[in-house]
Amino acid sequence: MLFTSNTLENQLLLPSTPPCILARPRPFEMEVGDGILAGTAGGCFLRRALFAVFCLCVPPLFLSTLAHAQDTPDYFRQNCVNCHTIGGGRLTGPDLKDVSKRQDREWLIKFLLDPRAVIESGDAYAKKIFEESRNIPMPTPPGINLERAENLLDLIEAESQLEESQFKGLKISTAPFTDADRTRGRDIFLGPQRLEAGGTACVSCHAMHDLSALGGGQLGPDLTNVYERLKGRAALSAWLVAPGTETMQPIFKNRPLSTDEIHALVAYFESTTAEQPADSSTGRVAFLLSGLAGAVIGVFFLDALWKRRFHGVRRSLVEANSSRGKS
Amino acid sequence: MNIRSQVSMVFHLDKCIGCHTCSVACKNVWTDRKGADYMWWNNVETKPGTGYPTQWEDQEQYHGGWEKDGDQPIHIKSTGKARVIPNIFHNPHMPSMDDYYEPWTYDYQNLFNAEEGSDQPIAKPISMITGKDIKVEAGPNWDDDLGGSQIYAANDPNLAGLSEQQRLQLSSVERLVLFYLPRICNHCLNPCCVASCPSGALYKRGEDGIVLIDQKKCRAWRSCVSACPYKKTYFNWFTGKSEKCILCFPRLETGQAPACFHSCVGRIRYLGVLLYDADRLEEVANLPDEELVNGHRSLILDPHDPEVIRKAQSAGIPDGVIESAQQSPVYKFVMDWKIALPPHIEYRTLPMLFYVPPMSPVIANFEDGLATHKMQGLFHGIDESRIPMQYFANLFGGGHEGVVRYAMGKQLAVRWHRRAETVGDVDRATADRFLREANCTVEEAEAIYKLTSLCTFEDRFVIPPMYREQAIEMVKEPHEQRAEAGFGFVGGPQRGG
Repeated sequence: MLFTSNTLENQLLLPSTPPCILARPRPFEMEVGDGILAGTAGGCFLRRALFAVFCLCVPPLFLSTLAHAQDTPDYFRQNCVNCHTIGGGRLTGPDLKDVSKRQDREWLIKFLLDPRAVIESGDAYAKKIFEESRNIPMPTPPGINLERAENLLDLIEAESQLEESQFKGLKISTAPFTDADRTRGRDIFLGPQRLEAGGTACVSCHAMHDLSALGGGQLGPDLTNVYERLKGRAALSAWLVAPGTETMQPIFKNRPLSTDEIHALVAYFESTTAEQPADSSTGRVAFLLSGLAGAVIGVFFLDALWKRRFHGVRRSLVEANSSRGKS
Repeated sequence: MNIRSQVSMVFHLDKCIGCHTCSVACKNVWTDRKGADYMWWNNVETKPGTGYPTQWEDQEQYHGGWEKDGDQPIHIKSTGKARVIPNIFHNPHMPSMDDYYEPWTYDYQNLFNAEEGSDQPIAKPISMITGKDIKVEAGPNWDDDLGGSQIYAANDPNLAGLSEQQRLQLSSVERLVLFYLPRICNHCLNPCCVASCPSGALYKRGEDGIVLIDQKKCRAWRSCVSACPYKKTYFNWFTGKSEKCILCFPRLETGQAPACFHSCVGRIRYLGVLLYDADRLEEVANLPDEELVNGHRSLILDPHDPEVIRKAQSAGIPDGVIESAQQSPVYKFVMDWKIALPPHIEYRTLPMLFYVPPMSPVIANFEDGLATHKMQGLFHGIDESRIPMQYFANLFGGGHEGVVRYAMGKQLAVRWHRRAETVGDVDRATADRFLREANCTVEEAEAIYKLTSLCTFEDRFVIPPMYREQAIEMVKEPHEQRAEAGFGFVGGPQRGG
């Protein structure tokens, strides 16, 4: 608890520090005669600023300690359910029911704090679950720390005792995919169909096999074969319920996809799974070329727009007069 | 009522001989520096003419001053919140160096060092900007005395509204006419330059209304250059700061007239303090064009009125300044006699430099192919003046002739009156008739005559006591500076600093 409070305090204090520094009178910049006035004014300001920082910092400290006990289930929901269930069978990652019986707590905490490091260290068990997960390494849970890891394991243990865990798995529609679903899924992927909660269209960051010259975004992976990669409907749907990567989580945390949207998207991804992923190199060349062409067009456009922007007044009078003389 | 004091000026154009002594005095004192070499804080231009910088009065090109659209409150024509971003790298509507002029000097050494040759050596003109040879094409008063110039005089923006015949007449043989317009910063009541500055570098001095640019705060936006409709702020390309006329405040503070006033050969310049009501500025700046001149006058308060004196005192204006305002020659010209008018009041900056419009020679007639200047009576009427009233109305009346006619008529009446007094070839009744028509008493005519023709230094320059020791207390604690004066703690202006 103490550890968390300290980090929080640091985080809160950081943005407030620059005004305090500014408020301190800087001796080298003071002018003659400004001395005492600036000094006293600065002193007052410094005191007030420190008091304000104090007032702003203290209540959140208390609130944070209170709130912390409640947020472990939420944390699990936001960061874990996209790959794990408790008693609902494996998705991308293993079912976590009774996980503390399979490995000792110390190992689990080490793994939670930095999964990739444990996998790369050559640990036999880690290697085994890595292979079971089709070589998809577990990402480091966002904002993980010792205390949170303990809390998570406590939660998993408690939930494992229950007959029916709240994390048993999400209710995924089992309705068969129709052509309408696939078309709607493609529209959602490309953007003509807006996401209900206002999330970003997939194409912003992801490519697909049949997109036109510019292709999709290059930030995330190509999604042509994602259905196969995540081994089917359940895992893919679970992922879409709460996407867990550091890039996707902040976007979709407050704008989750609806069940209908997930159904449509999974239908679409299922239909493309046999295709070859797009060749990203042609997309890059096209992107570069179109950027260059756009820049050239832009330069000519601005030149036309601002042609008369900086014209001399006198020069044009003289020119108008001399041309009148000639004609 | 929020009474403030303003050091104000009158230029009597009927007396200006166009000698440029004022410009040279100013140049020698203030702008004989690198980067300021093209600036003429005081310049004298020939009218009709395009002035300095070329066509500064054409706000379609320069977008200076305030603009009023219908019932909307006035706004700055050159900039605004929405216009700052697209123009962030360069303010458009700026005069180019060519519109001012590229300053030059001459290669005098060549006269002594030239190789022996078949011709006399010459001193070639050399640009003071680049140091290279220059073909001199224009100067700050290139149209000086060339009233007929088809490039400069013909493109004077004040010719708007004149008939084709009137325009031709201005430059035709035997009718050609010109007059001089000396210009300095008007130290306006509603200065557009101050309003436009994104850095807040410009300010109007509280105690005397002098508009100044803080050289430490200026960040070279040059908004003031485009915003000032009179083009009286200049950008120093060497220091990267804008500069302008400072009304020689260091001289004023020691009781001396500004350099251009002091040196004026024609004694056309008058300086005195005026009291005005700052609360009504916004209302007056928003008046329709035809009411602007009178609205501007209504801001200026009578320094003899006990009520005004009492409120001025309570507003912290020292008694010395109020006494000075009571003696002010500017108050007489502008308020008592109403013969001095603000230039281009339609820019709505409420300038505090007023001009007495010049009388011009009579129009020549042609009789049997010969030009004569015969006319009815001794002086010609103002409508027979070579410069049409519409021209003066464009320059001094916001486009409306009424106030200009009044000012010209009164000057004419004073001439009739003095002719009757001193020469006697005009009978008293005629002179009185003219005085009556011009709404002028004999005493007033005498006073105008005295302050116009027989004015001493003390009559022309009633410099208010500046009370710097009190004014400085508004921003600094003088006690703290005691024994700390010395050399070297104020650095020169420089880029980035």
